[in-house]
Amino acid sequence: MKRLQFLLVMFLAAGTAMAQDNSFLLYSLKGNVSVVDNKVETKAKVGQLLKSSANLKIAPGGMATLICNQASMFTVNKAGNYSLNKFKDSCREGSNNVSANYIKYVWNQMTSHGEGSPGSNRKAFMNTVGAVSRSINNIWIDPRLDTVNYTAGDFPLSWKSYTDAGEFQFSLYNSSNIADPFYTQVTSKSKIMINSFATKIKEGSSYYWTSAVKGEENDELKVLNFVSKDTYDKLVSLLKTQGGAGEAPAEQAYRIAFMLEDAHYLAEAYQYYSKAAQLAPDNVLYRSTLMSFKKDYEIK
Amino acid sequence: MKPFHKHIGRPFKSVHIRITKYLLERDTMFATAWVFIFILMVGLIPLNTHFFDPIKLALEDFDFNDIAYSKLGKGEDTKFDNRVVIVNIGHADREGMAMMIEAGAAQNPKVMGLDAFFETEKDPHQDSVLREVFEKNKNLVVISRFKYLHHGEEIELMEDHFQESFAQQGFANVVGEDRGSIRHFAPFEQYKGKEYNSFAAQLVKNYDPPKFERLFKRHKETEIIDYSRRTEKYLVVEGEDLMAGNIADSTLTGKIVLFGYVNTNPNDIEDKVFTPMNEKFAGKSIPDMNGIVVHANIISQILDGRYIKKLPSWVTWLVAILVGWLHMSFFLHYYLENHIWFHLVAKLAQLASAILFGFIGTYLFDRYRVKLDMSKTLVVIALSVDIIYFYEAWAVWMHKKFNYKTVFHQKHH
Repeated sequence: MKRLQFLLVMFLAAGTAMAQDNSFLLYSLKGNVSVVDNKVETKAKVGQLLKSSANLKIAPGGMATLICNQASMFTVNKAGNYSLNKFKDSCREGSNNVSANYIKYVWNQMTSHGEGSPGSNRKAFMNTVGAVSRSINNIWIDPRLDTVNYTAGDFPLSWKSYTDAGEFQFSLYNSSNIADPFYTQVTSKSKIMINSFATKIKEGSSYYWTSAVKGEENDELKVLNFVSKDTYDKLVSLLKTQGGAGEAPAEQAYRIAFMLEDAHYLAEAYQYYSKAAQLAPDNVLYRSTLMSFKKDYEIK
Repeated sequence: MKPFHKHIGRPFKSVHIRITKYLLERDTMFATAWVFIFILMVGLIPLNTHFFDPIKLALEDFDFNDIAYSKLGKGEDTKFDNRVVIVNIGHADREGMAMMIEAGAAQNPKVMGLDAFFETEKDPHQDSVLREVFEKNKNLVVISRFKYLHHGEEIELMEDHFQESFAQQGFANVVGEDRGSIRHFAPFEQYKGKEYNSFAAQLVKNYDPPKFERLFKRHKETEIIDYSRRTEKYLVVEGEDLMAGNIADSTLTGKIVLFGYVNTNPNDIEDKVFTPMNEKFAGKSIPDMNGIVVHANIISQILDGRYIKKLPSWVTWLVAILVGWLHMSFFLHYYLENHIWFHLVAKLAQLASAILFGFIGTYLFDRYRVKLDMSKTLVVIALSVDIIYFYEAWAVWMHKKFNYKTVFHQKHH
C-alpha cells in the first residue's frame, strides 16, 4: 500500500512539473505584432511578460523574439496567429557541460588536419578579394529624402557612408539636365544645409541632388522641389482648417507638423514640431517626436 | 585465463615503475631544481627577450580559462538576467538622453545608471534640460573616470561638466591592458583619502545593500570578472522606444536600469572591449562586448555572489614543483634506460600533460570558480626535457671534480 501511495505521489509530482506554466518575455519586436490574452487584443510591447495561454499575432513583415522561462530565446518571423502553448518545446533549458565540451574540443582539434598553409594549399585561402566593390554604392541616402519640398528655412540633406571617406561631393542638377550638375560642393560632413545653396535655386522649380564619396559616382538622384510661398501658405491654411473644435495650439502645431512631414515639407515640419514642443514642454510625445525627427534627419 | 584485474594491473604497474623508479634519486630532485633555477635566471634578465617571439606576441593576452568561454560554451546556459535592463542611448544628444532618463524614471526603477560622460558644455538649452534631470533623479548613478598617470603612480579624478548635479557617481574604469581583454574590475578606489565605489558597486549598493556589503567585506583590490552573459542575455530596449511608449509599463519597475551604448553589429566597435567571451581567444580579433554589458556582467556577478578565487602563487609554484618532479622522474627513466624512445615519449607525455592540466584548470574554473594558473606547470614540463641534457653535463663535471654521486657518470649520452 505504501509503495502504491509513493508511486501516486511521484506521478502527481511529475504531472505538476509537466503542467508548469511557461512564461514568455517579449524581447524584441519588428513590424505589427499584437498579443491576444483573455480575448483582448493589445499591441505587443517589448518587455511584456506573456503566459502560455496568450496568442501572438504577427502581421506580414513582422517579427517577434521571445525568451521562455528566462532561458531559451527564439524568433517567430512568419506572419500568423500563434498560441504560445505551441512553443513548449522551445522552452527546454540547455545542459551544457564544459568538462565534456573540453574533451570534444581537444579531440576535434587533434583530429582536424586543417587546410594546410596559404603557401602549400593556396586554393583554400583565396577567398579574400583585394579590391573595393563598386556594385554597392558607398553612400546611403534615407528614402525619406527621396522627395523634399522646400519653401524657406534651413534643413540638412543628409547621407550615410559605408566607408571611412573623409570628403563627399554634393551635386545639384537641373531637372532638364541630369548629366552635368550645375552646382557642386565638397564637404567633410555627411550632410549639406539647403541654405548653403538656396541662392542657386529658383522658386517653383524642381531639382535633383545626390552625394558621393569624393572621386566616386552615385547615380541615385533625389528630388528637391522649391515650392513657391503662395502654394505652401495655401497648404498650411488648408491644414489649419482640418483640425477639430477645441484643438489647442500645441495640438494643432503637432498635427500640422505631422501632415507637413507626410507631404515632404521637412524644413517646415521641423518648425511646427519645435513649436508644438515649445508650446507644451511637458508633453513627452511632442518632445520625443521632435527628438526622433531631429535624429532621423541629422539635425543638430 | 587470467582475471581482468591482472590484465590491467600489469600496464599500471609498468607505468608506476617508470614514474617512481627515479623519483627519490638525488639527480631527479637536482634536475628539477635546475628547471626552476633556469626559470629564475631567465626572469632576472632585465631585457625583453621576447620582442621577436611570435608565440609570445600572439599569446600576450592569453589566459587558458578563456577557452572555457570562447570554445567550451561556459555561460551559454546562464539564464536571462531579469534584474537588469539596458536602455540603448544610441547616438542621442544630451536632450535626448535627458528624455530617455525621464521616461525610464517614470517606470520607477530601483536604481538607474548612465554610462556616458560629458566633458564640456554644449548647447545651453540641452545642457540645462540634462542638468535638471540629473538634479531631479536621486537614484541615478552617473559614471566618473579616473586617469592613471605614470603607470598608476598618480591618480586623477576627471571632472565632468555636470559634476555638481550628480546625486551619485561610480567610476567606470575596468582593469585590462591597452586593447587587451578585460578580465578584472576594481570594486573600490582610494583617491585623496576618500574611497570611491565603482559604477557596478554603486548600483548594487542601491539595489541590494547586503550584496554590496559582501563585496565590501571582501575588499579585494581587484576581482576577476565571472562573465556569464552576452548582450542577448539582458533585455536591451531602444531609448526611442522607451520615449515613444513602446515598452511595457512595468518593464523597468524595481530593476537596475542601465543607460548606455549597445550595438551588436560586429563592424561597430564604439565603446566595445575585448572579453574572454570573444570567439577568438588568441591572436588578432575585434572587440566583442559593449562597455555597458561588461558593467552588467559585473553587476550580475555581485548580485549572484559569484566570486572567483584565484589560488595564491605559492600554490601555483607548489603544483609546478610536484608536477615537474614527477615528469623529471619519468623522463629520466626513459633517458637512462630507453634512450631510443626518449624524445618520442617525452613529446607525447608533454602533449598528454598539457591536455590533462588544461582540463584540470578548466574544470576547477568552471565547477568551483577556482582559478589555478597552470601556465607555470606547463612551462616546467616543456623545459624539463632540455634541462636533462644540461643537468647531465653538469652532473658529470661535478662527478669528475668533486666525486659527486650521479646516475649519469656511467651512461653518458
